[in-house]
Amino acid sequence: MSAAIDMGIFAETVFAIAEEVFTAMIDPEPGALQPALEPTELSEDATWAWVDVHGEHPGRVMLGTDHDTAMLLTRALLAVPEDEAVSEADFVDAVGEIANVVGGNIKALVPDPGPLTLPQVAPVPPGDGATLLHRAQLVWRGHPLVITLWSLS
Amino acid sequence: MRALVIDDSRTMRRIVVAALRSLGFETVEAQHGREALDVLESGEEVDLACIDWNMPVMTGYDFVVATRANPEWRDITLMMVTTESEHGQIVKALAAGAHEYLIKPFTPDAIRDKLQLLGLVEYEETA
Amino acid sequence: MTLTTDTFTWVSGLVRQRSAIVLETGKEYLVESRLLPLARAAGSTDVDAYVRGIRQAGSPRALEQVVEALTTNETSWFRDALPFTTLTRHIVPQLEAERPGGVVKVWSAACSSGQEAYSIAMALEHLVAARRLEILGTDLNQQVVERARAARYNQLEVNRGLPAPMLVKYFTRHGSDWEVSPTLRSVTTFARHNLLDAPPGGPFDVVFLRNVLIYFDLPTKRDVLRRVRQAIRPGGYLLLGAAETTIGIDDGWERVSHDRGSVYRPASGRAA
Repeated sequence: MSAAIDMGIFAETVFAIAEEVFTAMIDPEPGALQPALEPTELSEDATWAWVDVHGEHPGRVMLGTDHDTAMLLTRALLAVPEDEAVSEADFVDAVGEIANVVGGNIKALVPDPGPLTLPQVAPVPPGDGATLLHRAQLVWRGHPLVITLWSLS
Repeated sequence: MRALVIDDSRTMRRIVVAALRSLGFETVEAQHGREALDVLESGEEVDLACIDWNMPVMTGYDFVVATRANPEWRDITLMMVTTESEHGQIVKALAAGAHEYLIKPFTPDAIRDKLQLLGLVEYEETA
Repeated sequence: MTLTTDTFTWVSGLVRQRSAIVLETGKEYLVESRLLPLARAAGSTDVDAYVRGIRQAGSPRALEQVVEALTTNETSWFRDALPFTTLTRHIVPQLEAERPGGVVKVWSAACSSGQEAYSIAMALEHLVAARRLEILGTDLNQQVVERARAARYNQLEVNRGLPAPMLVKYFTRHGSDWEVSPTLRSVTTFARHNLLDAPPGGPFDVVFLRNVLIYFDLPTKRDVLRRVRQAIRPGGYLLLGAAETTIGIDDGWERVSHDRGSVYRPASGRAA
């Protein structure tokens, strides 16, 4: 994937994409999502969601955040108030959908991308030896969020 | 007015359904193109279909092709609602017979705008 | 995300009182989405709680913020549709009949980031040859003028009222953005301009002054309309926002037939 994307503009673009997704569907407040000023660590209880792109430049777009943050994102996306429970199925679907929409927009930056896989959500990232191409560190209302781009070829 | 919302993500269906309901639509849901065709084949009267592209079993694109091939379903307005945003994909969907195309992420205002363009929601003398 | 009827009724009453803008049933989602950021910033859990707080003890500033949040000029393409069909079906054919082969000059006043000006360009592409078409977009805000010149819009922006066939015809992708085609850009220019100053050129054949007057008080509206009248040809056309009128403000205009939207011509003038 790296051959196909100008990694220099990738950083700005990935933030712009994430910002659009957040503003439109999660948190309309301008400025709620920001680039992180310093490297951020996720807690041990983290949630990872990713989609893979097949085709000439196989790659992966992955979101990582603390489980608690992922739950807040789910509640925002599904408009579920704090006093109502969120099922595991809803959680996985919501977080996966965020990865899907972010991934789908990043995929459009590559010439002739293939289709996206269905999103996967897990407490650990996939350990399948993909090559890290880029890491974007973001902060949403004080919560760290990481978007990473990987090559699968 | 009734809308058929087709997406394999329950989250996305929920979001689209909420937007459509607030615009006065009744909604029916399907998880993929095949299920959506089943809904239509069962005789359900539908004015609008909001269609994701990438779904298991049958994609939204194939659903559009199938729907446009059936004269009984000619009057259904077909709108893609998808992350597929490459120029070529949009051209492809429109060429297959989709009437409109909404790129994810979208806001509820954007759905309303598209439905106004399609004549399914009135333009009003308001903000 | 469900607003109570009580909240919605109160908010729409306030907005109507302050701005003459009407929020009818069906607009609950708009109130919800526009007020949610304000609610959060005020520390409220939701819009109902926020509005309750304002009703009990709200400052004039809080009331203003609510109205502003709901009357902010939405930047969409082909806003309200009718003005553009009126433009192509009635206005431009009339102009062509009166002055065949003449240059058609259109002014998009308070053009914001340019969607209206480029929408006009798209609407007229097949009707008026590029060399005879001049579209000027002006706005008070320099940043926004520069955005309009840059002619690049993101995914959220192109989702707003732009027919998909026009998106694929007139825009190309640029990273995650969409850029307006050179054909449309060749007929549009943008400049910074204050509506209270002398007009930015002209005389114009068509002026779009849509959803701008609502922000001004009556004397200012009068002043702006008078200046626009000076900038428009006697046979020219003024298009206002859907709920707007010159009546009661400036009697120098006559209304063109009602089913064509808020369209006016200078009262004294007919075709030259």
